Amino acid sequence: MGYYNLEAGAQNQPPDTIILPLKIRAGAEILGPVIYLTDKNNLNTEGYISVDLNAKTGIFLGAGYSDYKYSQYNYEYMSRGYFVKAGVDFNLLKPETSRGKYWAGIGLRYGLSSFTSEIPSFEHDSYWGTTITTIPSTTSMGHYLEAAPGFRAEIFNNFSMGWSVNIRVLLYTGTGRDLRPINFPGYGAGDESVGFGINYFLSWNIPYRRIKVQINQEEPEETEETEETQGTNTTEPPGSLLSPAEYP
Amino acid sequence: MRSFKTKILVVIVTASLLKIVSCTPESCLEETDTYLIAPLYQSSQEKNVAPASLTLYGLNMEDDKIYDKTISIKSALIPLNSSAESCVFVIGINSATDTLIFWYTTFPHLISKECGYTFYHALDSLTNTGNAIDTVIIRNRYITTSDEENIRIYY
Repeated sequence: MGYYNLEAGAQNQPPDTIILPLKIRAGAEILGPVIYLTDKNNLNTEGYISVDLNAKTGIFLGAGYSDYKYSQYNYEYMSRGYFVKAGVDFNLLKPETSRGKYWAGIGLRYGLSSFTSEIPSFEHDSYWGTTITTIPSTTSMGHYLEAAPGFRAEIFNNFSMGWSVNIRVLLYTGTGRDLRPINFPGYGAGDESVGFGINYFLSWNIPYRRIKVQINQEEPEETEETEETQGTNTTEPPGSLLSPAEYP
Repeated sequence: MRSFKTKILVVIVTASLLKIVSCTPESCLEETDTYLIAPLYQSSQEKNVAPASLTLYGLNMEDDKIYDKTISIKSALIPLNSSAESCVFVIGINSATDTLIFWYTTFPHLISKECGYTFYHALDSLTNTGNAIDTVIIRNRYITTSDEENIRIYY
């Protein structure tokens, strides 16, 4: 594929090093805007930059904006705010498989969110009658951890697509335990201590450096099938007798 | 080793996708009403014993009784008024009637997205008359939707 370097190996031998491009990626999440087309009460936008540090590891920096509205028979809720995420991406593919084009692994991130939330109306029925009240807008700052296993592939030259599922653990919402946010920008449902999400990214990749990576040549595993095959490929004529020492 | 990592990744991704696409309950299944929970104790035995009859209603709300000479009530559920800082109840235990006054602060609490909000209270103090009631003690000041004893009424 052009990245293989045959300098270390003899002809017809597999190469033991490859040249791998390290890249800077800039991407945008597209699922949030698509969902917004069908649900005007829920806007999530997110972009990211990642930089490969070596064949396996990269650093990730993301940021986004969320605008969320929800209403049902007994209350209305609004929240909007910004979030940033920073962390590390680990590629689990071998360099000769990824070749700088494919990524399958897991990202570990820390997220920080600053947002305002408001309850414009809230109705409660009790023995004493119906109470209707509002809770004015307050600004809060919270944080969370995220693990994002996923896949990414370069589909055109320096242009890739990929997706990840995001498992998030809430650390602190900044709103107190009584008024947990129904939507916590960057995290999701703030009334749940573990959250899940899915992202679909389009990215532009800029190669900035090339590195030489050693390939670990794996010894072929011996299997019974191999042994049997080898047995039939020996120069012994079929049906020849084994010496007593060769009996199993 | 690589196949182990791949398997772990596949398990995590599959479990997360299942969670994302799984049905989320859209109806409210949690308790939304907040009551001050008041077990009734017979002073002589120091035991939680239901009185022969229990009557309870808010002051000036005689037409809307919470309990009306009800039998077998070992623990009274008393709803505080979230629009006020105090409220007064008339309580009838057997044939004698008393008045209970509660002072408290009220604050909103999110139950869940499906259920919305309710009011919790923090009990500051209380007073009572002593016709049927011997004494009332506060056990837990925070009045929530959980099934926890808040005060204990000795009669």
